[in-house]
Amino acid sequence: MTADANKAHPHDPFLVEGCADGAEALAVLDGVARTYRSGAVEVEALKPLDLCVRRGDFLAVMGPSGSGKSTLLHVLGCLDRPTAGRYLLDGHDVARLSDRELAAVRNAVIGFVFQRFHLLADESARRNVELPLLYAGVARGERRQRASEALDSVGLSARMTHRPNQRSGGEQQRVALARALVKRPRLLLADEPTGNLDSKAGERVLQLIEDQSRAGTTVLMITHDPEVAARAEQTLLMRDGGLSRA
Amino acid sequence: MNRRMRSVIREGLLHVTRHPLRSSLTAFTSAIAIAVTVNVISLSFGMQEDIAGDVDLFGRHTLDVGVPPALAPGVKRPSLGEAQVERTRRLLTGLDPIVVPRRQRAAPIRVDGIDEPYRLQVVAAAPAYLRTLSIPVAHGRWLRADDAPGSPELEGTCCLDEASAVRLWPQRDPAEAVGARLEMRIDGVARTMRVVGVLSDPLRYRELFETFDEGRGARTLTSSLLSFRNIYVPAATFGPGDYTGISIVLPTDEAVLEAQERLIAVWADARDLAALSRGSLIVFVRKQWMEALGTSTMQGSMVGNLVWILVVLVAAVMISTLNLITVRERYDEVALRRCEGAQRRDIALQITVEGVTTALIGGIVGLPIGYVGAHVLREIVQFPFRFELRYAAVATGVAILLGLISSVIPARHAATLQPARVLGRRLR
Ligand SMILES: Nc1ncnc2c1ncn2[C@@H]1O[C@H](COP(=O)(O)OP(=O)(O)O)[C@@H](O)[C@H]1O
Ligand SMILES: [Mg+2]
Repeated sequence: MTADANKAHPHDPFLVEGCADGAEALAVLDGVARTYRSGAVEVEALKPLDLCVRRGDFLAVMGPSGSGKSTLLHVLGCLDRPTAGRYLLDGHDVARLSDRELAAVRNAVIGFVFQRFHLLADESARRNVELPLLYAGVARGERRQRASEALDSVGLSARMTHRPNQRSGGEQQRVALARALVKRPRLLLADEPTGNLDSKAGERVLQLIEDQSRAGTTVLMITHDPEVAARAEQTLLMRDGGLSRA
Repeated sequence: MNRRMRSVIREGLLHVTRHPLRSSLTAFTSAIAIAVTVNVISLSFGMQEDIAGDVDLFGRHTLDVGVPPALAPGVKRPSLGEAQVERTRRLLTGLDPIVVPRRQRAAPIRVDGIDEPYRLQVVAAAPAYLRTLSIPVAHGRWLRADDAPGSPELEGTCCLDEASAVRLWPQRDPAEAVGARLEMRIDGVARTMRVVGVLSDPLRYRELFETFDEGRGARTLTSSLLSFRNIYVPAATFGPGDYTGISIVLPTDEAVLEAQERLIAVWADARDLAALSRGSLIVFVRKQWMEALGTSTMQGSMVGNLVWILVVLVAAVMISTLNLITVRERYDEVALRRCEGAQRRDIALQITVEGVTTALIGGIVGLPIGYVGAHVLREIVQFPFRFELRYAAVATGVAILLGLISSVIPARHAATLQPARVLGRRLR
């Protein structure tokens, strides 16, 4: 697992642990870096880093604001491309995938949950949850079926036609979670999923994420809250674009 | 079209219905543009087609042999007498022509209750002259072989163009001219003529026509003849002497061309300016003159077309801007759709569907507005107007085009959005 591209980068044996054979690895970052350039200023949002996410892992990422947590999540979620290094997702080199293929990967493999829910305000919960299936070309009947199952699984079947803005934050986040789960993702990425919720609603969402992990989905969750992080199997620390074990 | 594409299109349509205010604003802009388009198309195309129809009445299969209007100093005026009429007949042997020589003069015309006489063209020809035109007699009858020629001693018979009747009796219906008497002075001799018939006016857009005709500068005998503000009298009303022209009707387009060729082999082509001063007779094909008129109205309708094209462009810029602002408010939505698997082209398609739908809705609203507007315009300024289903089809096409054009920039903008930047609160 030595990338020619980044000889200068010393591998952190710990973070790539378990990836030696590659068999269990779902997502492997090998010297991945992301720099942003705005004018003359260059920001190293991610310093060259290694990470191995094995199938079934439940990882938490903590770190101060601006340390690069979201950037890491965007790279893992194929929403952003690394500026250096190699990212293997399920054995595929993401750098080789076209924009279209990346969209297909996001559609089929990755579930997203964001702090600010990101629901379509004018649409019912059901239509929000159906969205990924729509881009997958799933027929309407099946879409409805799967959407109501997903809503069921987050405990929301009763008020399916209500608009998001008629719901509490906790319910909105559960709709968002249902939208991520309806794809049956292999990798669930959550960026401060409880950040906007009171503790009771947050707990409910956390439980659902835990359930998902227990059911075999690989989860990576960003959080500020050590208590929340403690629910994961492993916590990583992010600081100034670098990653280390807690 | 696959299911995914259909779904994306549906998303676009749904968005339009979910934002009625915004969609109406866009649609309204489109409606105005389409209303103007329908209006102008109805006016300019309608007018052009009407004129094309009108000129048929002037004698599509008629040509004239005449004396050129302007001769160079010292050049002898060519004679146009019985010999030339005979020669014309001989030249056209086998083409089945109707050959009608005519004499024509401007003369002062006086009617009851008018002190100042009008000068009108008086045309003296055999009754067959009507066959060189395709104009129906509106009131009364046309001249007959047994009609009395006007003479100082004897009251004669005449027919009028409708425009002449209107000019002589502005307060009266042209039909009432039948039976009226007028006095004309020809060669210094006054005669009284009784009107027996009025020809209908072939010029629907007379003012436009006359502006064009005067714009051509040289007002020839033929062009004043074709202004249809004449008085027609029996051939014998004028004394012997040279004819003003010979009008010839042929049965077909081909015969007209053949006749033209044979005649200009002997005399000059009216379009050959140099020949006009050589002292030759000239040959004038009415259809070619009409085509010149058609080109001129075509130029007029080009100007009209420019107007609606400009209005549509302005609307396109406005709708583009509206759509762009809308897209800017929808970064979160677009980014989310991209997260969930939308490709760039799915986003572009959705934005385009939204744009085309609103523009089309506007267009459909604009159609009747434009239609009514053109009607009102006609009432106010007496402008020609005509509406046909074809124009509605064109306007609908324009609305779709408008939607497409005004979606290009917003669609590109939305499609190239970087979702990671939006989610990181760094818009775009
Ligand atoms: N699109 C971008 N353009 C420029 N700088 C960026 C961009 N995205 C992130 N950054 C910078 O990268 C660093 C990490 O940002 P981020 O990953 O959002 O941190 P976190 O999620 O840990 O708060 C910050 O310094 C931020 O300013
Ligand atoms: Mg963040």
